[in-house]
Amino acid sequence: MAQLTLKDVRKVYDSKVEAVRSFNLTIADGEFVVFVGPSGCGKSTTLRMIAGLEDITSGTVSIDGRVVNDAHPKDRDIAMVFQNYALYPHMTVYKNMAFGLMLRKLPREQIRERVERTAILLGIDKLLDRRPKALSGGQRQRVALGRAIVREPKVFLFDEPLSNLDAKLRVQTRTEIKNLHQRLRTTTVYVTHDQEEAMTLGDRIVVMSDGRIQQVDTPLRIYRAPVNRFVAAFLGAPPMNFLNGTLNSREGGIWFDFADTLPLRMLDRHADALRPHLGRPLVLGFRPSATSESPTGKFAGQGNAMRLEAAVVEPMGEVMDVSCRTPKGQPVVVRIASRDDLKAPGPIELHLDMDHVHIFEPGEFGRNLVV
Amino acid sequence: MSDPATRSRRSFSVPRALGFAALVVLGATFTAPFLWQVLISLSSLTDVDLLTRTGFPPVLKPENYPQVFRKVEFARYFFNSFFVAGWVTLLQVITSAMAAYAFSRIRWPMRDRVFLLYLATLMIPGVVLMVPNFAIVLGLGMFNTYWGLIVPAAFSAYGTFLLRQFMLTIPTSLDEAAAIDGAGHWRVFTQVVLPLARPGLIVLAIFTFLGNYNSFFWPLILTKDDNLRVLPIGLLAFDSTYGRETPLIMAGSLMAMVPPVLVFVVLQKYLVKGIQLGAVKG
Amino acid sequence: MIGSARRRLLIALLFLLPSLVGFLVFTAGPIAFSLAMSVTDWALTKHNPLSDTPIRFVGFENFLRILVGDESHLFWDYFGNTLFLMIGIPIGIAGSLGLALLLSARVTPTTRQGRTMGALWGVALTAISCAGVWASTTPGGATTLAGAAAPAARSTEAGLTDLTAHEVQRSRSRGAVLATAALGVIVTLGLAFGTVFFRTIFYLPSLLAGVALFLLWKTLYKPRGGLINAALGPVLDGVQAAVGATPPALWYAMGLLVWGAGLALCARVVLVGASKLRFGDAGLASFLGRLGLVAALGATVLGAGFVLVQLPARSLLPSGFAPVSRGDALDAAREVASSVPGADAEELRLAASALGDQSRVRDLIAALTGAAGASPESAGVVRRAVMNRASRVREGLTSGEGLAAPEWLVDSSWAKTALIVMGVWAGLGGSTMLLYLAGLSNIPPELYEASAIDGASGWNRFIHVTWPQLAPTTFFIVIMATIGGLQGGFEQAMVMTQGKADTIVLAYYIYNIAFTDQFQLGLASAIAWVMFAMIFAMTVLNFRLGSQLTNE
Repeated sequence: MAQLTLKDVRKVYDSKVEAVRSFNLTIADGEFVVFVGPSGCGKSTTLRMIAGLEDITSGTVSIDGRVVNDAHPKDRDIAMVFQNYALYPHMTVYKNMAFGLMLRKLPREQIRERVERTAILLGIDKLLDRRPKALSGGQRQRVALGRAIVREPKVFLFDEPLSNLDAKLRVQTRTEIKNLHQRLRTTTVYVTHDQEEAMTLGDRIVVMSDGRIQQVDTPLRIYRAPVNRFVAAFLGAPPMNFLNGTLNSREGGIWFDFADTLPLRMLDRHADALRPHLGRPLVLGFRPSATSESPTGKFAGQGNAMRLEAAVVEPMGEVMDVSCRTPKGQPVVVRIASRDDLKAPGPIELHLDMDHVHIFEPGEFGRNLVV
Repeated sequence: MSDPATRSRRSFSVPRALGFAALVVLGATFTAPFLWQVLISLSSLTDVDLLTRTGFPPVLKPENYPQVFRKVEFARYFFNSFFVAGWVTLLQVITSAMAAYAFSRIRWPMRDRVFLLYLATLMIPGVVLMVPNFAIVLGLGMFNTYWGLIVPAAFSAYGTFLLRQFMLTIPTSLDEAAAIDGAGHWRVFTQVVLPLARPGLIVLAIFTFLGNYNSFFWPLILTKDDNLRVLPIGLLAFDSTYGRETPLIMAGSLMAMVPPVLVFVVLQKYLVKGIQLGAVKG
Repeated sequence: MIGSARRRLLIALLFLLPSLVGFLVFTAGPIAFSLAMSVTDWALTKHNPLSDTPIRFVGFENFLRILVGDESHLFWDYFGNTLFLMIGIPIGIAGSLGLALLLSARVTPTTRQGRTMGALWGVALTAISCAGVWASTTPGGATTLAGAAAPAARSTEAGLTDLTAHEVQRSRSRGAVLATAALGVIVTLGLAFGTVFFRTIFYLPSLLAGVALFLLWKTLYKPRGGLINAALGPVLDGVQAAVGATPPALWYAMGLLVWGAGLALCARVVLVGASKLRFGDAGLASFLGRLGLVAALGATVLGAGFVLVQLPARSLLPSGFAPVSRGDALDAAREVASSVPGADAEELRLAASALGDQSRVRDLIAALTGAAGASPESAGVVRRAVMNRASRVREGLTSGEGLAAPEWLVDSSWAKTALIVMGVWAGLGGSTMLLYLAGLSNIPPELYEASAIDGASGWNRFIHVTWPQLAPTTFFIVIMATIGGLQGGFEQAMVMTQGKADTIVLAYYIYNIAFTDQFQLGLASAIAWVMFAMIFAMTVLNFRLGSQLTNE
């Protein structure tokens, strides 16, 4: 059980490429933190610096207050699950799990007891005599997990552990990892590029891009209140819609005007935040699920309706995703209650829940003005 | 593979039968000389020159074989060959594996430059090295000793290269997992990398052993005493002394051929794979 | 990476240490040392602890001495020999590719059931044919009885005088059964284990290449009693019969035809290559490659035509000029001594043995005539005796008169060819074949399927799919073989000819200079570096041509 602190951690390769720029984070004892971001964002490098597999260019990593920058991985009391599992092919499952304990010179009996207990916990007790080659992908994943758990380390590190599994198994194992964490309560850092995995697993999510932390918060808060356009775009599927336009003040409110579709009226509680940006080009964002279909003309003129041209319908069951276009062809995806008689191509009228509308400054990392 | 007729499911077809016949004829061409060697080695000296006309020794003389051991120190040659090739193989595999580990799994400054230097020397023909090495071994006082036969061959840039290539195929995450499990470099080397590089080690061992078992030029210039002679040199001396006694020469050379054949038949799988991985010396 | 940079360097150096010491002392050091040696006159006989002659710096004197000095003809002769022996390389590569194609054509049973059935049939067939051969060749019971009753019955055939007819027949029967059995075993194992079995026996010779194998081939090459000339005899007889049965004009016409066709083919290749060059379809390398092909084609065609034109001359080696061995010379001398009255046996023996191995029949006659006292009448007796002897020798070489089988390792005009034949035989199923097998199995089957849909078959498929796909493999093989070829040839020559019969190659030259003749280490180093320069140049050339050809 341990608290993990990263302070001003940087990683520079060959004194040129800056992979991680000033990373600051404190992970509480027992917390499950997920690093998420597109590939190359520095999340794996950060994890490997925590593990001691990568030099730390500057800054400090400390576990329970002890700076471990120069400690060998074995002296950091961590365990790691690798993307390719990194099971020793020449050892049986039992030896794979026992190897770390043997190197720590635990008594043979104790090793056996611990390995068997962990194996039962993970349901791999029947596989202990097999070699990794004779296991399925899912079983290998469990052995890799078991090898980490059996060590009872202070910190668990996961490096994209589910990306080699098929979709169904991935969902199943995800739940299991969450279960395990709830039982063991070990401090965990989990790296993934899959936003869904991040959302479902993390106590807190660290969204990274280009070596920088973009936002750290609980999954729901990040989902509801992304601090910038990058975070907003990265989390959620289908991704958030973005439309360009300008803010204008009229009729006692602030309106967002588009070039080719109905203007939207901003909520009054955001007025103060938005007023300085009147007349500037901005980006309006809303999630597909923030819309619902409305009878023609019902909300017209209220500043919360959109009139679009539906192009493709993808029924998902209870809901369906409709790919639409504004008159000038900007794409918008909306998620609405399913119905059989929606005509595509054909016009569609929507009601927009203005509570879930965000206004961003232009650019990939444009700040969210309404949080 | 390339002929549609052979791809058909029919078990017999004329092209296939012709192909098989060609294989048999070629097989006979490659084995006939050895069969002939056996016949000569069992023949008496007076019958040897008539063997092409009788086709089989009228009188079988298996005593030719023990005779070889009585005429020359053949057992000694055998021992020397095994002793030298065995030590060379052991040492070369160890030094190459350690160096390959340093070149493939530890990141250190200048690593790739030093490795390039190793590679560059592979282009230098062995004959160029023969003369200065002779002078060096002479200077080290290893002329006409086992040391002189073993020590210069105990290391190999080529073996290092081969094993490095092999080790590069082992995922680095295994080393990392082992480091997290608490292993230092020596333990990673002995308990993770070496077991996984076993096929590569076996390939190198086979090639080194066979190469040294057949080695000729170096022992020829380096040994003077009869009791230091390895098989090829012993055979050459045997031929120049007892050249007219063809049955004995054939018996001796046939016996010398047995160990490589055994090695090949037992370890064929590794050898073939090794050659196809590019483990061929010029 | 784990640990600090300094620590990693330290650990790496510890791991590297044993190898690095060896590398510095026995590879990197010697290279520098050898370069330094090559500009000195260091020779162990002159410069050693017992004499205090200082080693002199001689600059490029060694190199000049080898390449342009009075002794330079030696170097260039030996270089010529080396290049001659390398003729075997393209032949071997083509042969290895052929073997690989044959092995990967899946001509052996592929199913388990097929293998089992094949093995059973093979065993049965072998047993039946061995029994058949045994029954038809074994001396009948009556003969055996007669043989036992009359042990004095001698073989009537020349040369087999010491054996009874029964013994000869029994041996032949056994030999025939053995050959049948061996063939049967190959068939059976081939059916049972398929290509793995064939690959194994094809590979064996290259595995064994070394002194033992060379000694075996030395035996096979024996002009008399050697397997090769015994096998060649009937072939030469056949050719002889064919030549004898047709008018010489036919052979000349055939020779001219071959030459004409070859000329036309070469011209076509050159013209096509030139047109491609002109229209920019292919680079200069491709054109040069074509020129090389033309040279090879031309040489082959010329050779073939030459053989055809020569055949009516009835003999590749006129018997009067064939060399005689020391044994033959002594035998001839003994016969002369017994048939010419007054000839001194001992004197004749000395004269004959003085002629040595390389003498010709003509020289032998002259020598013996001289030694026997030069009356015209005794000269006639000598000539008859020697020719009788020679024809009996020839009988051993071939059965009957006519084309003579070569005296492989003795005759300078055949010895290198003998070494090439052996080299090709030994290397055909070796690593080259295995590399080609791997290359063939790496060609995606879809390519063959696509080309089949495009309508390619047989030769077209080979030219447009297989051969281009194998280009990187061929490239690698050619480079390795060239490097090996320029360095090689020492061991064979040392074991089989002791450098006689014009078989000294560059490596042998270095050996002679450095380790037999005054231990001239400086000069030997210079030769080694010249050799390295040649290898390097050839490799660069290979790379230039190869990389362009493989990219096309």
